[in-house]
Amino acid sequence: MRADKFNPLASLVTWAIVILMVFPLIWMVLTSIKPQSELFVFPIKLLPEHVTFEHYRRLIEDTPFLGYFWNSVVLSVATTVVVMVVATLGGYSLARFRYRGRETIAVAVLCTYLMPSVVLIIPLYLMMVKLGLENTLTSLVISYTTFALPYALWLLRSFMAGIPEDLEAAALVDGAGRLGAFKDVILPQALPGIISTALFTFILAWNEYLYALVMVNTDETRPLTTGVMNMLVSSFNIEWSLLMAASVMMSVPLLFFFAFLQRYLTSGFGAGGVKG
Amino acid sequence: MAAVSFKNVRKVFGETISIPSLDLDIRDGEFVCLLGPSGCGKTTTLRMLAGLEQPTSGTIHIGGQEVHELPPAKRDIAMVFQSYALYPHLTVAENIVYPLRKRGVPKSEWPAMLANIAQLLQLEPLLARKPKQLSGGQQQRVALGRALIRKPKVFLLDEPLSNLDAKLRAHMRAELIELHRRIGTTTVYVTHDQLEAMTMSTRIAVMNGGVLQQFATPDEIYYRPANLFVAGFIGTPAMSLIDGDLQRDDNGFVVRAGGLLLRLPHSTLRHDAVHEVTVGLRPEDIVLGRGANSARIKVVEPTGHESIVLMECGGATLCTRIASDVPLAAELRAGQDVPFDVTLAHTHVFCRQSGLRQNRDDTKVTAIKRTRDAA
Repeated sequence: MRADKFNPLASLVTWAIVILMVFPLIWMVLTSIKPQSELFVFPIKLLPEHVTFEHYRRLIEDTPFLGYFWNSVVLSVATTVVVMVVATLGGYSLARFRYRGRETIAVAVLCTYLMPSVVLIIPLYLMMVKLGLENTLTSLVISYTTFALPYALWLLRSFMAGIPEDLEAAALVDGAGRLGAFKDVILPQALPGIISTALFTFILAWNEYLYALVMVNTDETRPLTTGVMNMLVSSFNIEWSLLMAASVMMSVPLLFFFAFLQRYLTSGFGAGGVKG
Repeated sequence: MAAVSFKNVRKVFGETISIPSLDLDIRDGEFVCLLGPSGCGKTTTLRMLAGLEQPTSGTIHIGGQEVHELPPAKRDIAMVFQSYALYPHLTVAENIVYPLRKRGVPKSEWPAMLANIAQLLQLEPLLARKPKQLSGGQQQRVALGRALIRKPKVFLLDEPLSNLDAKLRAHMRAELIELHRRIGTTTVYVTHDQLEAMTMSTRIAVMNGGVLQQFATPDEIYYRPANLFVAGFIGTPAMSLIDGDLQRDDNGFVVRAGGLLLRLPHSTLRHDAVHEVTVGLRPEDIVLGRGANSARIKVVEPTGHESIVLMECGGATLCTRIASDVPLAAELRAGQDVPFDVTLAHTHVFCRQSGLRQNRDDTKVTAIKRTRDAA
């Protein structure tokens, strides 16, 4: 196969788009290490004259940031675990077994997936109050599951439908039971799909703002998204330095996952798309 | 090793009756092929035997034990799939010992059993590889090894050679025959390739539309097809089938079919043979260059050592073959009229309505083969 010839115009356009997309992130990192005095100078300076990590120190030591961080970790991990356990088994059921109502369930999952998540806020909040779960991380885990699960189910159903049925049949003939065949054959083959779906779910839960704003309202239970906004942004003042430092630290786990697991994400994009 | 039997087995998918009623008895140690066109129910039959499909009704026995309600793991069978179904994330060695792991065979016994199988199937250099690093023939041997390692009562093979090229298929056919000769395990083999069925089987079960057409030895199937379907399905080139009428007189039977007039002795057909018939002639029973019959050649297909000749006689199409070293072979042309003769003793007659065979079949098949060889 011939390699594509170098196209300078295409490269120029591509790099322009990349820089446009990446520039806010670069600006965010540079702002987080600039002293306060260099933030609003004119003409604008891209690079800091003096590098400081004072904003990070203040964020960690003088604010409840670490508490918010921990809440986000617990919330995102719990949501991901719940969603993945249910979606893996549910996707296997929808892909492999024949029973009455299977297609109805699949269509219902798809319709739920297509519904904007915001329409459920009020009923879910009332439900959490009735259950005595208002202002708890559990209420957020349940809420996030409602919109993350249909998406994960749909994605994993596609992945598992692509696994040849003969592999499972061979495992059954070789002596495995249904669960054994699932563990020995389906899970290893669906691993790229499971990892990419877990990553999407984690990112979804980590970045979610609206439900966190409605469901929880104390520092003990706020995740990073609402905690940072509540702490650093008011009608009268925005602490830009701390806000940028917080944004950098909020991005670190996601960057970490992307770095190690990006190839699973790209296979996931191809399979089921990304919910906006 | 064990005998296998299907008793009144029926399989329905939704509103489709895949297998109306199947009775089949396979003896201990036999190599039986389920042969038929796509959609005839042979793979469904195999999957019911494996436990991957449940019969709608009827019973299946393996070694005298009723198994149709048992899961596959409890039937003591092993299966080779058309796709081989090797576990992609496991090495060749791990694939082969997987059944031992699942069935609780002590781990201390695995190395010796694996070594035996690897030596038998020449897999020693491949044990550390993954399936995607193997050729088609190697994958097939690994699949066989995985099936052989725990010495099951019955082997099931679902078109295992269909993904191989012709040369490798011929080689593996010979290997499978040798393997069965050595280990003697009851084997049920699904194929749509009649060459595989004819060369490998102890008996062949020919199926069509979910119905068992004939269950007999390859020779019986070839020389005494039970009905029109079997007659037309078995044999390459296919048997020429011509509709005609049968009359009986003092000297025997007179058959008028297409442009043919055949006189058959009373001993050839059943005394209650019907009037409306279809006559079947194998290519080797139509001899070109002599005889009272005449046909116009439509197509001559040289294949190397022989030529296949299609010709038209009284509206019927006949197919015959002629060796390339016969002088006449070089002279044959499309549009040419050529005399031909028919070996009356090997003429097949079927009821046109039911398709059932009307011949008496007093002569043993071995005798038929001897007369052919002598001719």
